Amino acid sequence: MKNYLIKSPRSGRPGQWFTLLVMLGWLAGSAAFAGPGELTGRVTDKDGSALPGVNIQIKGTTQGTVTDTEGNFHINVAEGQELVVSFIGYVSQQVRPGNKSSLTVKLDTDQRQLNEVIVVGYGTQERKNVIGSIAKVDPTDVKSIPVGSFDAQLQGKVPGVQITSNTGVPGEAVTVRVRGATSINGDNDPLYVIDGVFMNSNSMQTTNTGGKATSPIADINPNDIESLEVLKDAEATALYGSRGANGVIIITTKRGKFNQKAKVSLNASYGWAKAAKLWDLTTGPEHAQLVNEWWINTGKDTPSLNRTEANRPFRPVSEGGRGLPEEQKTYDRLGEIFQTAPLQNYDLSVSGGTASTKYYIGGGFTKQESILKPITFNRASFKVNLDQKISDKIQIGVSNSFARTFRNQARAGDGPAGGLLQAALHTPTYLSPTNENGELVGRAGFDNVTLLLQNYDVKSVSLRYIGNLYAEAEILPNLKFRTSWGLDFNNYDENEYWNTFLITGSPNGFASANNGQATTWLNEQTLSFRQKLGAKHTFGILVGNTIQSDLNTGTTATGRGFANNSFKLISSAATTTGSSSWSKKNLASFFSRVDYNYGGKYLLDFSIRADGSSSFGADRKWGYFPSVGGGWRVKQEDFLKNVAAISDLKIRASYGVTGNQNGLGSFAALGLWSSGSSYQGNPGIAPQQLANPDLQWERTNQLNAGADIAFFGDRLGVEFNVYRKYTSNGLLSLTLPATTGFANYRSNTAEISNKGFELAVRSVNFQNNAFSWITTFNVARNVNKIEKLENPLEYGSRSLILLQQGHPLYSFWVYKQLYVDSQTGNTVYEDVNKDGKITVADRQIDGSIWPKFFGGLTNSVTYKGFDINAFLAFSYGNKVYNHNKFFGEGGGARDAARVIFASNNDRWQKPGDVTDVPRPDGVNVNNYRDGGSRWLEDGSFVRLRNLTVGYTIPVRHISSLRIYATGSNLFTVTKYTGLDPESSASSAQNEQGIDLGTPPQPRSFQLGVNLTF
Amino acid sequence: MKAFKYILPLSLLIGLDSCNNFLDVQPRSSISDDQTIIDKASAETAVNGVYDSFRGYYSINFQSIGYLSGDNIQWTGSQSQIQEFINHRVNAENSTVSAVWSGIYGTLNRINHVIEKVPNVQDPLLTPALRNKLIGEAYFLRALAYFDLARIWGGVPIVTKPTATPSDNRGIERATQEQVYAQVLADLNAAEPLLPATTDRFRATQKTVWALKARYYLYQKDYAKAEEYASKVIADAANYKLVTPYNAFFANDARGTTESVFEIFYSVNETNGHRGQWQPQEKGGTRQWAPNDAFVALVNDPEIGGNRNTLVAKDNQGRWYGNMYYRSPATDPTFVIRIAELYLIRAEARAQTGALTGALADLNAIRERAGIAKSTAATSDQLLLAIENERRIEFALEPHRWFDLVRTGRADKVLNVTDPNRLLLPIPAEQLLIDKALKQNPGY
Repeated sequence: MKNYLIKSPRSGRPGQWFTLLVMLGWLAGSAAFAGPGELTGRVTDKDGSALPGVNIQIKGTTQGTVTDTEGNFHINVAEGQELVVSFIGYVSQQVRPGNKSSLTVKLDTDQRQLNEVIVVGYGTQERKNVIGSIAKVDPTDVKSIPVGSFDAQLQGKVPGVQITSNTGVPGEAVTVRVRGATSINGDNDPLYVIDGVFMNSNSMQTTNTGGKATSPIADINPNDIESLEVLKDAEATALYGSRGANGVIIITTKRGKFNQKAKVSLNASYGWAKAAKLWDLTTGPEHAQLVNEWWINTGKDTPSLNRTEANRPFRPVSEGGRGLPEEQKTYDRLGEIFQTAPLQNYDLSVSGGTASTKYYIGGGFTKQESILKPITFNRASFKVNLDQKISDKIQIGVSNSFARTFRNQARAGDGPAGGLLQAALHTPTYLSPTNENGELVGRAGFDNVTLLLQNYDVKSVSLRYIGNLYAEAEILPNLKFRTSWGLDFNNYDENEYWNTFLITGSPNGFASANNGQATTWLNEQTLSFRQKLGAKHTFGILVGNTIQSDLNTGTTATGRGFANNSFKLISSAATTTGSSSWSKKNLASFFSRVDYNYGGKYLLDFSIRADGSSSFGADRKWGYFPSVGGGWRVKQEDFLKNVAAISDLKIRASYGVTGNQNGLGSFAALGLWSSGSSYQGNPGIAPQQLANPDLQWERTNQLNAGADIAFFGDRLGVEFNVYRKYTSNGLLSLTLPATTGFANYRSNTAEISNKGFELAVRSVNFQNNAFSWITTFNVARNVNKIEKLENPLEYGSRSLILLQQGHPLYSFWVYKQLYVDSQTGNTVYEDVNKDGKITVADRQIDGSIWPKFFGGLTNSVTYKGFDINAFLAFSYGNKVYNHNKFFGEGGGARDAARVIFASNNDRWQKPGDVTDVPRPDGVNVNNYRDGGSRWLEDGSFVRLRNLTVGYTIPVRHISSLRIYATGSNLFTVTKYTGLDPESSASSAQNEQGIDLGTPPQPRSFQLGVNLTF
Repeated sequence: MKAFKYILPLSLLIGLDSCNNFLDVQPRSSISDDQTIIDKASAETAVNGVYDSFRGYYSINFQSIGYLSGDNIQWTGSQSQIQEFINHRVNAENSTVSAVWSGIYGTLNRINHVIEKVPNVQDPLLTPALRNKLIGEAYFLRALAYFDLARIWGGVPIVTKPTATPSDNRGIERATQEQVYAQVLADLNAAEPLLPATTDRFRATQKTVWALKARYYLYQKDYAKAEEYASKVIADAANYKLVTPYNAFFANDARGTTESVFEIFYSVNETNGHRGQWQPQEKGGTRQWAPNDAFVALVNDPEIGGNRNTLVAKDNQGRWYGNMYYRSPATDPTFVIRIAELYLIRAEARAQTGALTGALADLNAIRERAGIAKSTAATSDQLLLAIENERRIEFALEPHRWFDLVRTGRADKVLNVTDPNRLLLPIPAEQLLIDKALKQNPGY
């Protein structure tokens, strides 16, 4: 982090900066104003203690004063004038002194934060009574970050939740990890619950975009979201049983209010996005020079190759060569595919209610072009939430979200055919896009970039409905019954057409279409009872059940052989194929929670969920997930009651068991033979998998301890959590010896731990009627470790990632480059086993994708009509493998097959050269070895995620009119030499952290207007 | 927790049956493993499944070991694991080697299910002839699988029983190469009487067994038997003869010609990815495997390549590419045994046993079909060299070259592979890790 301080004075060590900000704020808040007076007064808290520094202002004027250290003040007041008495952390009061010459004002502490309502599993609680570790996120200030899905907007906002955008393509899958990762072959994504519906968060994409996947979360319009709660510890998530281990994200959408007149709100914005930088490539002459050098070097190393100066590839054409290096031209392909991309977003909503009905109706449209042509993300969404009181005791309601998400897709990831970014980036710059006849041709195994842009035709449309219907009845006083039916339906339609100008479509055209449906329906009943016994005891009981069914079906067709490029439908193809898929998973659950509150001082609760799943093994159909939590509101004790500075102190602890079955597969426990092994058109069957009747959920035990402290009311709040998660029964495709005829066997044999802490601070540095400044800061650390794994597992290109017992998940496995010998120009690697040879045994683990710390810092300032919000996200200590650079620094060995990056110009050329780039030699021989640590880089960063400046214009008859300008990713401070330290070639969870040809997250600028009337 | 455990079953009792049904969901594209190979239809589909599994490794991976390790092909892609074959520096981590090993043992499991279960099927519709044919096909295919295991790795674990649980068929030590070859012969001998003497180019028959026996005996240097079995197939001239010109067995979407003794069938629904490696971009491929300069020169030499120059073609950037696997959709067959091979087996067997005239006649049959002059080889050594060179061109894009040079002990001279340990490939490293009974080949 020190480097950041040096590199950019705009970002400091976040902790220090934060402290400074807080101190400045307080000093300013305490500054005194002088003034003579006829009125003398005193301001105290409700217990009578003097409050110094309280702001006293005559309403409607700029005149005012501040209380002294004894809480006293003097001020001149004319008759009829009113005083506004305000102090941070206390509820402001207005007093009319009348003709009094002295008065005492008692201020109540402002407890809004404490009384804030938090959504918990199957209910709500006031913050002061919450035992679990739950982060409530107000999405308002990140809503304008131009990405497809709300999860990508939340990076740096939630302590302990690590959010990584693997690509800058809008609407692509985002990696979200709540308190680390618990699983190798199961899924590590949190559970998403929107308005009580368990939401499908698995991408339905089947089109190959080179390891990328679309995000089903992007079907939700962020503007419809009222609040987000992230449930992290077992106390909070055990009610979600076999799906709670990776955290739960509860999304509550906007609803109307009873007895509120119609409120119309409009939000419109327009902007532009652009890559902050692009890759530096060698010029044609530089490339040729390097290839010649490689040629001659390898000739010297291995004389039998007969490679000499005389027959070097780039020699004069007259000698049969490709021309001298200096005769080579340079062709720019990157400039052709990157653009300044337009962004637009419009939201319109109406909400309100009568005495018995409330409604929210919202519509939204967003269109984001990617900086990489021709990728586009469009979403049109529509939302209706209604609630109706039938009587005093019965209420029914519906939530409906409908969205159509259209994507113009392109292969922004790995792979040659159709690979847009690779074609532009990895084609050597000296190669002309045309052949000698002037025809556009693809080079180096890639498509021609111009032809790709002209002929790309890959599109998908997601039609998504998520809805819920509920009825709630108060059967007896304090006894509530609720039943609900939910549905998440997603129709995902994909179409590709590749004409004969493109590799995939050669020689006579190729089309493919896929239509997939994911349907989840669920039914839930809950019965809740709350009773106060005497003055001190409060009990609550909740019991409930869920039945849920997830059905996935798909139909695919392909066609090959089109009469000409005008025919694009599969039905016009000469040969067609079709296939279909079907899978289903059922879940039945029962759950209960009992909570007890003694005098608002001691809090205790127990919960349990039993989950029966069709995908568990025959002998393990039911799993039980209990938890217990306790809290002590120390502030309520006599010894703290009179300590004015500490306005709240709560200590909490919880322990529980949660599970994970996501990624288990619907039929993973069964012994099966599959069809589809036909021969000569006759059906064939073959063994598919061995039965495991004991296959079950992953089991995570989590211990959490935390404290919530507030000083001076809401002025300074601190939340701290430490936790330890231990996952056993981890889902693992246990590799079987090939002699069994099977590759693997689904088992529950892995064990993984996550330990860490989270700190969140919210400080109101300054606040009065005209000016306020609020700072929030969070930082978290998670230490991940594979506790048990019999055999190491290799993942990713060139096995760059190794999962090994005793190391974190996603550790990088490399040959460590020590230095480049300044005499020979050869790379010297660490010979781990000291056998004098560099073999695979010398590969070692060197860092992982996990940061040591990560978090965010937000400053919000309002001054009269102006508002400014600046939000920094940071990550420190994570590594990235710059695989792109590995390809681009082949030193000429890949000749005409790959581009060479400009960084290769720094190679060793003659004895005495000191550099870390060796002399060119063969591919994977020594100097450019697959998996060398030279390309393993520090991925730490501090990013200005968002900076928004707004101004609210006072206009008659309009309740609010605000114009704003917002910039995203305006700067990123990092040592990483690629474009974006968050880039990852693949969205596969075990292949993260390998950067291979991905458009970076763009820098963007938008102008917008919010109008409410 | 305890109490809940009692309450729960009580509440479940009400809907116990429906709940159990609710939690029992069966797949639709798979069947339970206790319902396989129970009648005629399922026995037939299981054997189809065996042929299908050859497509797994006989499409690309096995092929690439056979010809990339030779001297005709260069690698233009970026993964170094392919280059390892060309350089003869194959590492135990090589993913192609691993894929072939797993592919063959996966096939063996399918075969062993057939051999174990088909004899016990009680179904009047399964006639004795059909039952024999199905079992015979399985024996033949098992022989082919072990033959490939033996020539790539030497001694390997011999597995003859199907796998029913994860603890089956593991921890088996490697047999010797001789024992594996003995298994091949035993399976061929078992297959021969069970199979009909019909002609089927896509499935095993008695004649397919003879052809593989000819190759087997050539590898065993039992030249008399090699000649005998090669002659048995060549003698069936009505069904097996050299097609003219050379490319008539693969060009113009040809399949199952009289050239073919055994080939793997592919169709629109059962595609062969092989073409993608060879064809240039303008044809939808990657041209990652390309004929090298030496081979291009040889095959385009009218004296040497003759009409076999149709194996290569030029792309729109003036680069040569291999053009034997070219179909779109990708339905190119995998040619396992061609009649040309039996001529050359017999030529070699005869040359080894001093029957030079017959040897020369067989060699010239191949040369004549290629449209080149008759061989002038006069001595046994000259003949053997001529046969070796003929095979290099004739089977340039089929997986023979490497195995031929290893078999004849000529890899050292021709390919400069001086370390004899490199003549066998390494047991995949990850297999050694998970099965401690396996031991690595020397030199790896």
